[in-house]
Amino acid sequence: MLVVENLHVSYGHIQALSGVSITVPQGSIVSIIGSNGAGKTTLLNTISGLVKQHQGGIKFKGQELGWVPHSIVQQGIVQVPEGRKIFAGLTVEENLLAGGYILRDPKHLRSNVNKMMELYPILGSRKHQQAGTLSGGEQQMLAVCRGLMSEPELILLDEPSLGLAPIIVKSIFDLIGQIRQQGITVLLVEQNAKKALALSDYAYVLENGHVTMEGKGRDLLCDPAVKRAYLGEKE
Amino acid sequence: MSIQQLLNGVSLGSVYALIAVGFALVFNILKFSNFAHGGVMTLTAYIGLAASLFFSRWLSGLPLFGATLVSAALAGAIVGIVLERMAFRRIRNNNSPVIYYFISSITMGILMENIVTIFASSTFYSYPKFFELSVVELFHVNIALTDLLMLVFSSTALMILLWVLYRTKIGLAIRALSFDVNTANLMGMDSNRVVMATFIAAGILGGVAGVFLGINYTLYPQLGQLIVKGFIASVIGGLGSITGAMIGAVLLGVLEVTLISAVGAGIAPVFVFIIMLTFLLVRPRGIAGVIVQEKA
Repeated sequence: MLVVENLHVSYGHIQALSGVSITVPQGSIVSIIGSNGAGKTTLLNTISGLVKQHQGGIKFKGQELGWVPHSIVQQGIVQVPEGRKIFAGLTVEENLLAGGYILRDPKHLRSNVNKMMELYPILGSRKHQQAGTLSGGEQQMLAVCRGLMSEPELILLDEPSLGLAPIIVKSIFDLIGQIRQQGITVLLVEQNAKKALALSDYAYVLENGHVTMEGKGRDLLCDPAVKRAYLGEKE
Repeated sequence: MSIQQLLNGVSLGSVYALIAVGFALVFNILKFSNFAHGGVMTLTAYIGLAASLFFSRWLSGLPLFGATLVSAALAGAIVGIVLERMAFRRIRNNNSPVIYYFISSITMGILMENIVTIFASSTFYSYPKFFELSVVELFHVNIALTDLLMLVFSSTALMILLWVLYRTKIGLAIRALSFDVNTANLMGMDSNRVVMATFIAAGILGGVAGVFLGINYTLYPQLGQLIVKGFIASVIGGLGSITGAMIGAVLLGVLEVTLISAVGAGIAPVFVFIIMLTFLLVRPRGIAGVIVQEKA
């Protein structure tokens, strides 16, 4: 569905990505793991069009991807950014409405808002509350729901479990599973390698802007090198 | 303080509110104090004058007044578009530092002021007299007709703006963009279009404010320096808060009218600035400014 080929991105003299190629098949969950500064967020931001200067091809459903973020959203790719980035001063409901900005039919928009509130009743009961007053876990749920509002075909999740309590991390990963069941393809960037790999169909390990390893999620989970570097296990 | 003075203050404050809100709209999104807004007011005030002279061949009274306001507002919208394209879009797309916006806005302000000086010279002009009647009596209070109209039209303009901001999609986009541009882009919002819409709204308010300032004072190229009033109102109300700017502006209007009658027009500004400095020192976020923080 999404094919990234030989992608090079640099910020000034700093090479953030050098020759990254990944493939995300339709209906799958593909994850990218790697340490801080490996280029994971840069990769997502380049796909989303926030990082403009790049070399290499990005194709979505066989077509070249647009150059500006809003046209990429219209093509069906939505990113849920790292650190949630909810609109803190807008109400929960307004955050959801903002997520569905590209939907033209007001009834359609309204029914999607109601759907999200059924999915997470907490969002419904707090709809008139400023989103900044929600707890971290609730904000992350809101951020993901906001991303789903425009009914994307591919959703890019950037570190959805960052800074959350283990029990909430579990519900986030449950949600990611549900998203896939709805037929939405997921590209997941995570530092929580164990959970991400267990859930993924396919995974890439990114180090210093290079893909150093790739394989099925289960296989990587058992790989000694991955275990050492990302799962904290000693031999 | 008499009701009379209160009314005068509120109507003056409503014009300040137009200035302050036009100022706050841009501040909200681009996070800089747009002093070019003063230039927009000057330019549109003169365009309004030209329109009033032009239309006075066919119209008089309220229709003429309305035609003048509409022309100035339209001119304001167009000036807003040109301003955004010329002075700010490139800076924004290059993610340049805020100081660039600041310099660009001051430059544009001075440019517009001098364009007016070239075409209209630096002499003083005044708007034609729109109405025969100059004072109306309302609930046993005498109020100047222009003051009353100022109050009515300014509040209407501000109500329409609030409706757009809180009830329409483009309004939601403007508010979303004011929190986080990149994330708003990721929601499919076209930041170029949204920023343009903001400048159009600010330009329209600037146009209406320009006409009122021109009627209230006289027309001269430095009229735009009254932007300072909008700035003070914004600081008192809370920089970046639309409702705060309105509250601050009305307070400022009432305060000024009271001070002028208490200590005279000469020293009144001294007290106004002292109050602004006190606010900056004691409560820099202003009256309505609440700082909403995201959880990291």
